[in-house]
Amino acid sequence: MEVVLSFEEAVKDYGSKKIGPISFSVKQGEVVGLLGPNGSGKSTSIRLALGLSRPSSGTVRTMGLNPIRDHVRALANVGYSPELPNLQTFMSPNELLDLIGRELGLGSGALKEQIPAVLGSVGLSDYQDQKIGKMSKGMVQRLSVAQAMLGSPSLLILDEPMIGIDPAGALHFRSLFRDFAAKGGTIIMSSHIMSEVESLCDSLAVIHSGRLIFRGKIEEFISSSLDTRLVEVEASDPPESLLDAVRKIPGVSAVTRKPLGFTVYVEKGRDVRSEVSRAVVGSGASLLSIGYSRSELDEAYLASIRRSGT
Amino acid sequence: MLALVVLTILIDTIPYFLLRSSGPSLFPVVDDPYIWVLGIFVPQGFFLPFTALLISAGSMSEEYEQGTAEVLLAKPVSREEFFFGKFSGGFLLLTMIILLNAILSVTSATLAFGSQLALGVLPIVVVSQIFSSIVFYSIAFMSGELVRRSSLSYVLASAVYCTSEIAGIYLRVINELTGNGFYQQINSYLPTTPVSSLPYLVVGPGLPKEALSVLSFIGSGATETSIPFTIGLILAFALGAIILAALHFRWADVAKRVA
Repeated sequence: MEVVLSFEEAVKDYGSKKIGPISFSVKQGEVVGLLGPNGSGKSTSIRLALGLSRPSSGTVRTMGLNPIRDHVRALANVGYSPELPNLQTFMSPNELLDLIGRELGLGSGALKEQIPAVLGSVGLSDYQDQKIGKMSKGMVQRLSVAQAMLGSPSLLILDEPMIGIDPAGALHFRSLFRDFAAKGGTIIMSSHIMSEVESLCDSLAVIHSGRLIFRGKIEEFISSSLDTRLVEVEASDPPESLLDAVRKIPGVSAVTRKPLGFTVYVEKGRDVRSEVSRAVVGSGASLLSIGYSRSELDEAYLASIRRSGT
Repeated sequence: MLALVVLTILIDTIPYFLLRSSGPSLFPVVDDPYIWVLGIFVPQGFFLPFTALLISAGSMSEEYEQGTAEVLLAKPVSREEFFFGKFSGGFLLLTMIILLNAILSVTSATLAFGSQLALGVLPIVVVSQIFSSIVFYSIAFMSGELVRRSSLSYVLASAVYCTSEIAGIYLRVINELTGNGFYQQINSYLPTTPVSSLPYLVVGPGLPKEALSVLSFIGSGATETSIPFTIGLILAFALGAIILAALHFRWADVAKRVA
């Protein structure tokens, strides 16, 4: 698959702080979560990719082109939604999208068709003529995603897109981004909300203290970062004997009870879910659900950050 | 923008009607058919350069402060297109203010003092005002790009204007007192000098003496330099500022929202 974004030994030296050298690439159709603590270099990486910052050394290629020298061609198919977007408050969504559409070179016909479509896709059809200055934070965030999607880009770069979004909006965005990815679009999404990253992304780039500490599949990240994996079991009234039986399953290091079941701590590289399921059913308790803990990515992320120091 | 338009309307209408109602005691030397020159030339000293500063000092810096530059420059738009779009958009607004100033001055003078004469020179005066206003427009634009904070940019550009204006007054006074032409020569190189001189220089020979007497009454006038020298100086100040701003914009990163 075609590489749409690549960093080769890219360094951004701010004088007091240095980001890089960073090397990684993103292929077309990937949905990549960009993770890292505040100030780690996520936004700098995004800004380098968009040609908003010039690398001090190394190479950054967006759509195979230098985003500084070939800015117009490199960004022709890239949509960007910044963190905490600040859009022209005196304009309405219609006016802003019209301005941006014209920057993108869209004609009147295309604008008439695309503006209502993107506003509809983010749930802002009813607010197209309201001044942006009078919109809520969540609505501005939706509009920011709408302007990023105008012109049908093939690469979406989203910096914290879920900030300020209500649960219904988050659900809407997830579906919107999944549809975009299903049509072959590439997404690079920076976020601190691990559940969002886990539910949307198929791979991760983790940056810490200006260095890339992981690039690969989420599953690989979790298994390589955690010494112990957590299996959450939801079961009605599990007897103490069941917990003892589970503790005896090879690979299980600990079991702890929780209000609606129990948590199984499993040694790295082992998968005991089927044995645990059989044990629950065999004990007469009702198995409601079983699966790896949703907080595993959080745990893995924290573990990897701890391991890489500072 | 609305405030500037309102201010222009007030500046170009109220003085004429005040002069009409209480003129004889206040303003005995004016010749009614040439009073339009007041509304055209009086703003040249302060109102027009300051309007240029107000429009352009925030032109770039507000885009950085509000974070809108980041959104716009992450689109497939070249930096040159963005830079010159911002520059020419603001300058177009300034041009409209200068045109409004001229139209309102002549209209108010006609309504308050009857038919006005020697209006044939008006187009060249207005063109020279538009051209000369590019000096402080460019300086303020450069200041906005370099510091990227609108309040600081206004302060810096205003400081350049005020320093030049005050230094010019002192140099003219010293020149008068000492008769040493060196001081006048220094004065002629200050940025305010070509700005205030050019309209007088281009129109002076074309105005009848009655109109010139109105101008002499308000105490304004051209510094004794040639038109090519004045135009050259205007171009030098403007191009210097534009080139510095353009180079900075081309090489500097588009920072995240700074305010």
